[in-house]
Amino acid sequence: MRRTLPLFLTFVVGMFPIFAFFVPHRAVSDLNQQLDTWLVIVAAFALPLGVVNLVGSNITKIKRKQKGWPYSIVLLAGLSVMAFYGIMGGEQGFHPKFQYMFVNMVSPLQATMFSLLAFYVASAAYRAFRARNIEATVLLAAAIIVMLGRIPFGDMLTGGRMTPLSEWIMTKPNAAAQRGIIIGAALGAASMQIRVILGIERTYLGKGQE
Amino acid sequence: MDIQKLLYIDRRIIYLLVAIGALIPIIRPIGLPVVPTAPVKGLFNKIDTLGPDDAVMISFDYGPSSEPELNPMAAAILRHLFIRKVRVLVVAIFPLGGVSMAIQQLERVSQEFDLQYGVDYVNLGYKDGGQAPMKAMGVSIHDVFPADVDGRPTDEMSLIQQVVNYDDIDVVISLATGVIGEWWANLINAQFGVDVAVGCTAVSAPKYYAYLRSGQMIGLLGGLKGASEYEKLLIDRYPEARELYGKPEEAKKSAITGMDVQSIVHVIIIAFIIFGNTMYFALRRSQRR
Repeated sequence: MRRTLPLFLTFVVGMFPIFAFFVPHRAVSDLNQQLDTWLVIVAAFALPLGVVNLVGSNITKIKRKQKGWPYSIVLLAGLSVMAFYGIMGGEQGFHPKFQYMFVNMVSPLQATMFSLLAFYVASAAYRAFRARNIEATVLLAAAIIVMLGRIPFGDMLTGGRMTPLSEWIMTKPNAAAQRGIIIGAALGAASMQIRVILGIERTYLGKGQE
Repeated sequence: MDIQKLLYIDRRIIYLLVAIGALIPIIRPIGLPVVPTAPVKGLFNKIDTLGPDDAVMISFDYGPSSEPELNPMAAAILRHLFIRKVRVLVVAIFPLGGVSMAIQQLERVSQEFDLQYGVDYVNLGYKDGGQAPMKAMGVSIHDVFPADVDGRPTDEMSLIQQVVNYDDIDVVISLATGVIGEWWANLINAQFGVDVAVGCTAVSAPKYYAYLRSGQMIGLLGGLKGASEYEKLLIDRYPEARELYGKPEEAKKSAITGMDVQSIVHVIIIAFIIFGNTMYFALRRSQRR
């Protein structure tokens, strides 16, 4: 029963939205909408699960005095204070102190971290972008054209030709490659979902449930 | 001069040049010309056809890390919508600060116009669950957001009474980092047929061209350049926008000003790539000899 019931539930819940997509009957669509509402509720449970996991792993790190354990204290303190004011703020979580900390602490910290990328990208591009073979040369040429096409200097240097050339790279070869990646990933996801629905893939049941 | 030494130039020199290149245009803006491209015009032209009877949903799907690129986009699009008196519904699907970004931008832009909250615009706040609330809004926006960002009941708001689901929305605009913009295109456009446009960071832009080319998106604003192009279109078309962006404090925050910095830094990076390759080939030639 411990194995059969989850497999049965997975099959029914997995098949129903597919069935509902092709059956435009009121009763079917109403039930499908109900499933969507449940999905919002079930998805919300992922948050506390993540918090429990994060707290557990960091407490262990502090207890064992593993490398970088003082950072775990900072993390847990930050998590506790933000969560406290978040809960105090009610349903949407907007206690004035929560918003104050977000605007004056989280926002500048993230902005600082990501602004450093410009320096690292410049350094990495200088070191790694070499025309070592034909493939690398094509990539290099495309990168320079797109980079020049993204700034007004490119058009100023080439009499307005760089933006159209850059757009051509983005809309033709890039879009074609991206489409291939997206379709490939979608087919992979669909086949995985079919395996889960049909009970072929059972790792989500956890260890010892097979 | 030793080629090896030049090939492995001290990274601090690169950092210093990038810092100088970024600082100069901030201190003394250059005002480089901006030429709008077709993906940006796609969204601008669509909004230009809308009016007071129409409604647009903007989903704030980014956090502070993408703020420099996406905030100017949000401000420009909101200004365009408010100038044309289009009704605006704001939501946030991104958990790491989407709703804070929405609050900041709405507070900043809404005070520039004579607007009534709940009638002309509403901030519905954040909803967890990613694709689940997005899909559920296809049936009822009110059911997904029974209260707005401040906890006020939405069923008392005339905007939510009139805009029931995606059938009443003309365009959904996702200002996105990560995968959420793709969900709007491949889930909401595909299943509900509502027009979708995405404003994203420059690094995410390439993947969206596939959706743009397939007709699943009507427009795409890629990074600071996309934002600057939208500002340019807005300034050229509307005198009130020209006046707004003419104010020194707004000009400082604009994407057009930011493009000066991006342009100089791009030129520095390209110069380093060319220099690095020249040294690489010079070294190879000297080794062959």
